[in-house]
Amino acid sequence: MTDAGHAEKAVMNFPRRDAQDKITGRTRYTTDVGGSEVIHAVLLRAEVASARIVRLDVEPARRMPGVRAIATADDAPGLYGIGIADHPLLARDAIRYHGEPIVALAADTLDQARAALAVIELELAPLPAVPTMAAALAEDAPLVHPDWKSYEVLAEGSVRQGNVAWEATVTRGDSDAAFARPDVTIVEGCYQVGRQSHVPFEPRAAVVSYEDGRFHIHTSTQVPWTVRDVTARALGVPESQVRVTVPAVGGGFGLKFDASIEPCAAVLARMSGRTVSIVNSRREEQMTCLSRENAEIRIRSAVTQEGEIVGREATVLMDCGAYGGEQVFLTSMTAHTLGGNYRLGTARLSSRAIYTNTPPNGAFRACNGVYNTFALERHTDEIADAIGMDRLEFRRRNVLGDKDLGSTGQVFEGNVLGPMIDRMEALRASSGDRKALADGRLYGRATTVGTWFIFVGLSAATVNLNSDGSATLVTTGVEIGQGTMMQALPQIVAASLGIPPEQVIVKSADTDAAGRDLGVGGGRTTVSIGAASVAACEEVKAKLLDVASEMLQTDRSELVLADGRIEIAGRPGTGTTIQQVIAEVESRTGPVSGNGSFTAPGAVSALPGCVAGHFLDAIDLPVFAVHDCELAIDPDTGQVEILAYRVVQDVGRALNPRAIHGQIQGGVAQGLGYALHEEITINDSGAFDQQGFESYHLPLAADVIPVEFDLYEGAPSCGPLGTKGAGEVPILNVGATVACAVADATGTKVSSLPLTPPKVMALIDGRQPELQHHHISPVWVENTLQSA
Amino acid sequence: MSVTLSVNGEERTFTGDPRTPLIDVLRDHMRLTGAKSVCREGFCGACTVHVDGEPMVSCLIPVGTLAGRAVTTIEGIAGGGAQLNAVQQALLDHDVVQCGMCFPGMVMTLSAFLETSAQPTRAALKAELSGNACRCTGYERIIDAALSVTGQEVAAP
Ligand code: FES
Ligand code: FES
Repeated sequence: MTDAGHAEKAVMNFPRRDAQDKITGRTRYTTDVGGSEVIHAVLLRAEVASARIVRLDVEPARRMPGVRAIATADDAPGLYGIGIADHPLLARDAIRYHGEPIVALAADTLDQARAALAVIELELAPLPAVPTMAAALAEDAPLVHPDWKSYEVLAEGSVRQGNVAWEATVTRGDSDAAFARPDVTIVEGCYQVGRQSHVPFEPRAAVVSYEDGRFHIHTSTQVPWTVRDVTARALGVPESQVRVTVPAVGGGFGLKFDASIEPCAAVLARMSGRTVSIVNSRREEQMTCLSRENAEIRIRSAVTQEGEIVGREATVLMDCGAYGGEQVFLTSMTAHTLGGNYRLGTARLSSRAIYTNTPPNGAFRACNGVYNTFALERHTDEIADAIGMDRLEFRRRNVLGDKDLGSTGQVFEGNVLGPMIDRMEALRASSGDRKALADGRLYGRATTVGTWFIFVGLSAATVNLNSDGSATLVTTGVEIGQGTMMQALPQIVAASLGIPPEQVIVKSADTDAAGRDLGVGGGRTTVSIGAASVAACEEVKAKLLDVASEMLQTDRSELVLADGRIEIAGRPGTGTTIQQVIAEVESRTGPVSGNGSFTAPGAVSALPGCVAGHFLDAIDLPVFAVHDCELAIDPDTGQVEILAYRVVQDVGRALNPRAIHGQIQGGVAQGLGYALHEEITINDSGAFDQQGFESYHLPLAADVIPVEFDLYEGAPSCGPLGTKGAGEVPILNVGATVACAVADATGTKVSSLPLTPPKVMALIDGRQPELQHHHISPVWVENTLQSA
Repeated sequence: MSVTLSVNGEERTFTGDPRTPLIDVLRDHMRLTGAKSVCREGFCGACTVHVDGEPMVSCLIPVGTLAGRAVTTIEGIAGGGAQLNAVQQALLDHDVVQCGMCFPGMVMTLSAFLETSAQPTRAALKAELSGNACRCTGYERIIDAALSVTGQEVAAP
């Protein structure tokens, strides 16, 4: 069958098969594993931001009732990290953040474990703390990692020094000449965002046993292979000694894109010989959340009166907290998020991960993209206003189109953003404006564009075709709620093999059963695991068709797989059942299975010499979004009400439109929280003020409205059947769009998120001083290590 | 100390600290893990059960206050087995579930509300759900499903 035929067969609103157990309370998440066979682990965590460990005595705890095992840094000597191995599992000599684990302890009951923690003797000598990125970059700032030079560097091309954990830069074209042109207006802006907490309803949790000389980690993660690697590194054991399995995960959003507490439970399981359960309390989960990082941004652009962007310079500071973690990698993404959307004559971008004595940050849905899109789109409106051009017209003229260069010089294929803007106009026209609903309040409206890209990267799949005609798909993909493992993947496999999706069994992740995989995140599951699955199906099909061609005395090219049968094309009923062909193949060569693998196609590249310190120079699979928002602001309270929210999303091919609707509605709701009321503040002891649901405000039912949307199909994609991931991107422009609409409503410069009512009131009353980043130089090169 | 209460129609006795929150008794002692312990502060609703037919957050109820009372959990809401009640069926039919952690609580709240309020408005349903947080779905499709139970079908896009 042709690819187009497969693709059409794959499109359907296939319902998720895990829903019934989830609504009846039968699903066993990691936090539901328990009972008398498990013992319970807890962590002694630091309550200061920066200190030297003078003395640690765990002996008193050993004498407490029920205690089975106690681990300290000596039991997990290895350092791990992304790009740089800077992170110990348990603090050894130094405390670098409030909440850092120092001791792991397991006892028969949770109460016994907590009681035992309380008698551990810990003596600390306070050290000066680096609470902010401004402090970290100050001259003579204390170093969060005085030994930074001695750390093992795990990725090539590192650019780092002192409190600059990592730096990625882009330099394309002669920026100085562009800014010196006599015909340009120079527009400059500073922007800033706080942290966002993922708040998955299931906290990070793991249940670990040590069996036959190997660790079995059953955990709530998005990245089984990372958990395997980090555990091996931290404990100093071969990776092959670690097996990771993953049941249903109760939400991730990127928080579980890194290993965290799993290796602690692993050490304790080996020591005690028991099955050890570790579950973050809600307070621990909030206080040590690997949040979306706070960021500080300066952008400068040189623009002609016709609206051509001849030069753009930007510096993005990303707070990685006490350890590099994801932010080290995420520095690479600024080139494609803040450097995205528009054609640029020249570009100079500096993206830096900065160490501070605060809890480490991590990846959060559309990581790096959300705040860079906010800064870029606010800056774009400021440019349009400065040159007196309509804001949407300015975007129309500048959005990336077919064969345009991205910031790193990569060539983009296809006109996508332009037509998507047209589709947004059509959507707005059909739904009508909601200005009347503002009812005397301040009314604002904005349309923004955004660029995201799918983390392609490696995936593996095995398809076993069973004698009953069903297929088993074996991968290490994880179901975190996004539905890919329940919907897109069985749909893709079913369409490839001509069987109903109900007949595709999807095995839950087990690193002993399937090949390596980058993990679930960045919108990559449908694309990467999907592509590997299609490749596995091709092998299965080849085996079937070889034999069927003989059985049916017909050339292979004439045969199609459909409705559980193998038929002569165009002549339904002429062939035979898939079971009969399987039986024949089994009798000749044994059971039918196929393997497939996938990695980044690598068909695109940056211009030589443009990038330094990047983990990726070009993006294989861009995804675009256009968002539009109408809102009203109560001038007396600063309360923002969303009146309409519209999304046009580039999905490649919409395999399951109903499921994509769910992702858009949910992703926009998370974005509204980020834009308006999810706030994290860090107090003098280096701890978050928001320790739970009472003070960290999630969007509730009354805070959201039904999102109107239009799925844009047909943009170029290397994904299977032309798909692109659809779950990551709905949150991308929400902060940007709300901020632009608030700026529109108030006629003020909106430079920071979240837009809480007091902040909005300060804007309205003219009490909000213009944001200045004194620690980011207006001279771009001074914000790089190149200047040193 | 021991307390005897009815759980899903069965007499159960708990022996231990009477201040133990009901959620822990259900999950840890009776191994009824359907109710989720998410915030433990009364804010998220994931631990909602019915006490004498009223939806309540089980993280804030000391088990000692429940002697002789009837507790229904998500495991008992539809009469056990694989049966679904109307709310569950609608959530299934509309394919609104994501990670699923909030859904046991959502089902308990909505089931009680729709029994007493025959034709609620969208706004009334949203107000009723104010104690049930969800991090995944953005709520509106849950509301669509709930409205369909009352025969107020919402055009599915
Ligand atoms: S766990 Fe009871 S309300 Fe959140
Ligand atoms: S479905 Fe995940 S919390 Fe509601």
